[in-house]
Amino acid sequence: MDKGMSILVVDDFPTMRRIVRSLLKELGFTNVEEAEDGQEALGKLKGGDFEFVVSDWNMPNLDGLEMLKQIRADEAMKALPVLMVTAEAKKENIVAAAQAGANGYIVKPFTAATLEEKLNKIFEKLGK
Amino acid sequence: MSGEARQVAAHEGAHGDDLVVRIGQLTRMLRESMRELGLDKEVEKAAEAIPDARARLNYVASMTEQAADRALNAVDRAQPLQNEIESRAESLDQQWQTWFENPMELDQARQLVTDTRGYLAAVPEMARETSKELLEIMMAQDFQDLTGQVIKKMMEVILEVENQLLQVLLESVPEGDEREALKQRMEDRNAADTRKREEASLVNGPQLTAEGEGIVSNQDQVDDLLDELGF
Repeated sequence: MDKGMSILVVDDFPTMRRIVRSLLKELGFTNVEEAEDGQEALGKLKGGDFEFVVSDWNMPNLDGLEMLKQIRADEAMKALPVLMVTAEAKKENIVAAAQAGANGYIVKPFTAATLEEKLNKIFEKLGK
Repeated sequence: MSGEARQVAAHEGAHGDDLVVRIGQLTRMLRESMRELGLDKEVEKAAEAIPDARARLNYVASMTEQAADRALNAVDRAQPLQNEIESRAESLDQQWQTWFENPMELDQARQLVTDTRGYLAAVPEMARETSKELLEIMMAQDFQDLTGQVIKKMMEVILEVENQLLQVLLESVPEGDEREALKQRMEDRNAADTRKREEASLVNGPQLTAEGEGIVSNQDQVDDLLDELGF
């Protein structure tokens, strides 16, 4: 796994963005950018060369699920791995995210170990 | 009790009974007219929102308490480590200072070298432990996101209750300036509140309790569900 890969962290709460960014740094990923909702994220994704997305679900303007659907519908971005990190803890949420093409699902509150495990699992599957 | 006092009490009793009857009649009248206007439903809705609001406040209170405990416990564990790093370094530095001022026999110097090496070897482990506690303090801050979502939801509930109560108030004041002013207030508020109602059943925020139909309570259950689904 390339620790220099560029990662976009999407969450409407600045505290959570800082936490996720620090955890990623702790795991060795330092090339991290942030967006505060799905809309801003899509703009950044279209303009930049991102290789991984960590996203919240419940956000204003454009939520995480809608953003995921739009990523999967976009020819240039459809293969982009997306890890959902969200407080939404209903079974139908997890099913909907999986069906929309999420590569992983972490329910908040989560631990550093969980984030590491899911990242490893996703890259293992992708063969990176 | 004197005869006179008894008389007064009896009189007050009769007067009181009369009052109770009249209050009863008024209450019945109020209830009936409220039902006619459909306002009892509005009040009912407002009242129903209260237990939900209480559960949310409870969640916020317990999450913030947990976070504070987590952070303080981490500090309690990290402080002795930091103190040990500091005091052992100071002590060794002091001994080296003495040695340089007055170089002693080789044997004593050898002991100092051994102690110093032992210290240098121990520092990284203690520093790692401290870093772990710092990470713990950072992770404890995740309550801000979770309680923030719950508080936002609560503000919607409060707005809803306020609307319902204002509606009741509006219907119960007679036509006139006061009623017009109230009406205006409600319209202004509704216009100002342009936030889109989040009716989508998939956006609920944190679950207040881990129990309940269709709710996963931890990461293992999420993973199991995804496995079941073949993802």
